[in-house]
Amino acid sequence: MNSIIIGQYIPGKGFFYRLDPRTKIISVLFLMIAVFMLENITQLSIALAAAIFILLIGQISIIKVAKGLRAIFVLLIFTFVFQIALNTEGKILSQATLHFNLYSVLAIVLAFVFWRILLRLGKFKFLLFLAFVFGVYFILRYVGYGTDFYSFSLTIYEKGIEMSVFVIVRILIIITFTTVLTLSTKPTDLTHGIECLLRPLKKIGFNSEDFALIISLSLRYIPTIFDEAQKIMAAQASRGADFSEGKLKDKLKQIISLLVPMFIIAFMRSEELADAMESRNFVPGQSRTRINVLKFSMIDVYSGVFTLLCFAGAIVIKVI
Amino acid sequence: MSIISVKDVSFSYNEKKLGLKNVNIEIKKGEWIAILGHNGSGKSTLAKTLVGLLEPQSGEILIDQVLLNDESAYELRKKIGIVFQNPDNQFVGVTVRDDIAFGMENLCIPREEMLEKIDFYAQKVGMKEYLDKQPSNLSGGQKQRVAIAGILAMHSDILIFDEATSMLDPYTRSDLIEYIKTLNKEGLTIIMITHDVNEALLADRMLILNQGEVYAFEATNDLLKKPEVFRECHLELPVALEVASKVESQKIKEKLWEYVLTK
Ligand SMILES: Nc1ncnc2c1ncn2[C@@H]1O[C@H](COP(=O)(O)OP(=O)(O)OP(=O)(O)O)[C@@H](O)[C@H]1O
Ligand SMILES: [Mg+2]
Repeated sequence: MNSIIIGQYIPGKGFFYRLDPRTKIISVLFLMIAVFMLENITQLSIALAAAIFILLIGQISIIKVAKGLRAIFVLLIFTFVFQIALNTEGKILSQATLHFNLYSVLAIVLAFVFWRILLRLGKFKFLLFLAFVFGVYFILRYVGYGTDFYSFSLTIYEKGIEMSVFVIVRILIIITFTTVLTLSTKPTDLTHGIECLLRPLKKIGFNSEDFALIISLSLRYIPTIFDEAQKIMAAQASRGADFSEGKLKDKLKQIISLLVPMFIIAFMRSEELADAMESRNFVPGQSRTRINVLKFSMIDVYSGVFTLLCFAGAIVIKVI
Repeated sequence: MSIISVKDVSFSYNEKKLGLKNVNIEIKKGEWIAILGHNGSGKSTLAKTLVGLLEPQSGEILIDQVLLNDESAYELRKKIGIVFQNPDNQFVGVTVRDDIAFGMENLCIPREEMLEKIDFYAQKVGMKEYLDKQPSNLSGGQKQRVAIAGILAMHSDILIFDEATSMLDPYTRSDLIEYIKTLNKEGLTIIMITHDVNEALLADRMLILNQGEVYAFEATNDLLKKPEVFRECHLELPVALEVASKVESQKIKEKLWEYVLTK
């Protein structure tokens, strides 16, 4: 349950844990803009090297960042296929006709079944997926017997490969930055940092303190509400409800019978919570002192300078 | 001079049911009041009207001679601290420290002072080792202790505890009661809602609610002599009083009353 409240945060002691959240948020923003200003693979490689350097000095394990990448895996594959299929600039690297016929479709089905079975082993999921994708490509390309019911010609251009690598590396770098931020910053510090950075918006009527309080209250109550759900499910199960089986219709009924009491309880809770806050003299929008304060230190200055240098470097490259 | 006066207050949650019926109470500064009553007798409702969270349909409430209404509520709340029944739904902070600080933050107490007070009151309720813990890792009783510390730290003149010690272990509870006694001696007004008659015996006066009405509001030592009041309101009697109501001899009766009060 706790993994939900702390999000991606992993307790630790490295360099980034000591940085002020404000520094981290601003730096990530600037570094991301800088990365988007880069125009070719060479420049990006330098940025990638810088990102890895950042991971190393932060003593943040690359494996953990890689795990964070899993979430956008589909996005990466999609980008790759999209770029290769649609980019028609530069030299032609390969040209091939892809055949859809009885044999190739059968072979793909077999390959699919084979891939799902191998997946059960639980290891090398990523490599297996790549093997499956390439397998499909080779089957479509070389299994040309019989009559095709559909075929098209796929031409891969130099620019297509280059751009897909470029876009993917760019995404990788950006994900690295944001993962470093979320791995090393508690959600509460993150909200506090955002709150401080948004404070100037008070002039246009946006109260960042109340906003941050709402976010942290939500974070606070997520595990409580999950506990509640488990209790309700246990109560219903003890009266004979079965959550594991049944048709879609039964499942839907069960979900509704879980959601209704949860909503009612959540409403009652929020009302009592509002009472408790009010009785402890909370007035929305009124100024209050804070127990948690953020302080910049020397390492924030170093990091800020580093970020500025990177940003300036990117601007210089862009202009030249 | 009454610090709280409730004048003919009636309140209902909906048309069908009256939560409070024509309640009249005067409480003097520095008094210790216990509120007793069966489930649903209106104890929590009364507590909420006293801090202006519920607005009575008729009657008026004066806190320190000031009429309690929407405008005065914010100022008057600074004088009253209330610990609610359910510790889970009053935990505002992400950690124990944040939660104890919440009320003080709203009172704009400087940070240094807050840190000192947090240490002091966390120590008082035995939660000092838990300051960085999150509520999901605390037991019900521990959350109750945090809620109490958060209210004590706000230094109100009136403290209302709505069954706020129900989950505490006997050791922590008697520690806390001792501390509340010293606060009471320093002049704080204490209102304790409880189902525990032994705890109620500490009070100067007992207010017994029945179906939203004041059934009795008398000095504790007078009420002890009327066990029928307790029985009529379905309240538990201390064993010694049960015995006292059975024996004939006036002398033994007085001994038993004395025993109950000094315990
Ligand atoms: N939010 C509400 N909406 C409607 N009715 C309510 C609400 N809260 C309480 N009541 C009703 O008002 C009456 C008094 O409730 P109250 O919570 O004051 O009782 P209590 O004396 O505190 O009981 P307990 O000993 O269980 O805490 C009850 O009959 C209850 O059903
Ligand atoms: Mg109650």
